[in-house]
Amino acid sequence: MSPVFRAACERLTMLYFELLIQGLIYGSMYAIIAVGLTLVYGLLRILHVAHAGLFALGGYMGLLITNSTGSLILGMPLAAAIVGVVGMAIYRLCYQPILDQPPYVALIASIGLFIAMEEMFRLIFGPFGLTYTNAPLQSVVQFAGIYLRAVDLAIVVGSLSLLGALSWLSQKTRIGLAWRATVDDPQIAESFGISVLNVRYLNFFIGSALAAVAGVFISLLSNLVEPTMGGVPSYKALAIIVLGGLGNVAGTLIASLVLGVVEAFGTIYIGDILDRDAIAFAFLIIVLMIRPEGLFARR
Amino acid sequence: MVKKISIFALAVCLVAGLSGMANAADTIKIGFHAPLTGFAASDGKSSTEGAKLAVNQVNAAGGVLGKQLELVVYDDQAKPAQSIPIANKLIGQDKVVVGISGSYSGATRSAAGVFQEAKIPYISAYGIHPDITRAGEYVFRTSFLGEIQGHAGAKLLGDMMGKKKVVIITLQNDFGKSLAAGFKDKAADYGISIVNEYQYSIKDRQFGSIVAKVKADNPDAIYASGYYFTAGPLVSQLRAAGVTCPVIGQEGYDSQKFIEIAGPAAEGVIITTSLDRDSKVPETADFITAFEKQAGFKSDMVAASGHTAVMVAADAIKRAGSTDPAKVLAAIQTTNLKVSTGTIKFNALGEVMKAVQVQVVKDGNWHHYDVIDDAALLAPPAE
Repeated sequence: MSPVFRAACERLTMLYFELLIQGLIYGSMYAIIAVGLTLVYGLLRILHVAHAGLFALGGYMGLLITNSTGSLILGMPLAAAIVGVVGMAIYRLCYQPILDQPPYVALIASIGLFIAMEEMFRLIFGPFGLTYTNAPLQSVVQFAGIYLRAVDLAIVVGSLSLLGALSWLSQKTRIGLAWRATVDDPQIAESFGISVLNVRYLNFFIGSALAAVAGVFISLLSNLVEPTMGGVPSYKALAIIVLGGLGNVAGTLIASLVLGVVEAFGTIYIGDILDRDAIAFAFLIIVLMIRPEGLFARR
Repeated sequence: MVKKISIFALAVCLVAGLSGMANAADTIKIGFHAPLTGFAASDGKSSTEGAKLAVNQVNAAGGVLGKQLELVVYDDQAKPAQSIPIANKLIGQDKVVVGISGSYSGATRSAAGVFQEAKIPYISAYGIHPDITRAGEYVFRTSFLGEIQGHAGAKLLGDMMGKKKVVIITLQNDFGKSLAAGFKDKAADYGISIVNEYQYSIKDRQFGSIVAKVKADNPDAIYASGYYFTAGPLVSQLRAAGVTCPVIGQEGYDSQKFIEIAGPAAEGVIITTSLDRDSKVPETADFITAFEKQAGFKSDMVAASGHTAVMVAADAIKRAGSTDPAKVLAAIQTTNLKVSTGTIKFNALGEVMKAVQVQVVKDGNWHHYDVIDDAALLAPPAE
């Protein structure tokens, strides 16, 4: 092998490795946004579009608290807690009164709520978007010729450990048992003394708090929180949860990571013909043609 | 009691309405549409504030033809489907003398046709699509065409900075595509070879994979189109990945917000635009101070463009000595006016002819870098 050729090969391997890492970063972000959505769908069979509004709210809360206290350690959990409670309020005030209606009623309510939230952010926080006065986690880590920001690593590690904790919660605890029982059959679960209402509250709290964490992460990546930041997640997360098999948490995680990697490579190699956001849907259409129940559907 | 209050309220409304009407008869109306809600709301806010400032300044100086100017503003959400009914409303209901777009190309193109049809003069403040002025003789543009600014970018990179190996990162919309087309058009003339071109959508804020590929391409410079909300994250992600070559942008970057988002990574970024922050020209310097005082935030290219378009309209009505559309049209065609974005003159197609300002980020602010005044290079199409 000539040295020139070998150098070219090494550069290419390096590039593929970097793209793979970028894909995992995108994928982890998608995972924590989408998991809340799939939880709501699993429990209530509602497509909760306003989830993306909570994601943006998380970004705003995280940024405002971090800017005023100077501490992300405070900003992120507080944002998650606040948004979690707002998520519970959305369930109580918006979805619960229309649970006996056909599913599209809740879908329309959810879309309306999402648009209202976007415009509310614009009215309250202004159209220009907000930035961190001193953005945390921006220091650059370098290894093997790859430059990553602390926030890139935090996203991958943070998302995967949060999802690990969620899986532990649902598999190993009594709360998780109640949760799974309610998903399987709310009526029987209730007759065994499980409070279905509490399970739903918990579900919205956790899902919304995760969306808030995702919002804070993304605001750190781009140093920008804007009213329309929920726009892309509002529909891409829907594609992801369908791919993952609606209501399936593990499937959602894998679908997110796969989509992240496909997007990272697709942006470079098929970006001329297919927009990055279109990739998710092209992928979705292909998968649904081959496996109409989604990649990882439970039967 | 409730009834009494509501009757009282009704009366107040009636009186207010009547006085409003009485007022209306004494004013000269200028129609204005911009995206005040939706994804482009930030640019809409800037351009509207710029236009309002111009109206206030003209009115403070005694108005035109002995009357006060009145700006009639509608929100078009940067959507063509909104701007067409707005144009009809401005013409039919508000009876505006001149229409102005403080909006993006899509919305401006559709409204331009309506104004041309009604034979009411119409000025695009910063829409860049070539078809806007092709609607007819009643339509003008006070900003550069995307292609023309692309030409300026090629000269800046290849000639003035001597960078020959260039990667293009293109925003996939009218704005980005026409800039890239103009740049590629003139690249060979300045000895520039284009290594690669990447595309991204206006919703993208994460550019990790493009950044990784650009790094592997190892260019002398990057010509990247975008708005402050895409360019800010792009530039900071490029710098974080260790890409140190110059980044050249355009008027879409032209906002204090770009520097805020990109932080220290913004330093040294160079753009082609139409507002010179260090200008000693009184029209520009006064605009920059007056705008910040009125709006509460720093001026940008979009604000200056909204301001410029209203100034051109007011000047034309004044010189026409009448609000008759044909006379105002003739007056706009012969415009020779010094304003915040330079000296405005139009060619036969209604395209502006002025110099391109080159600005650089230094110590967290936009500053003068150079000016491109090559009339042949910057000549807009005349038909």
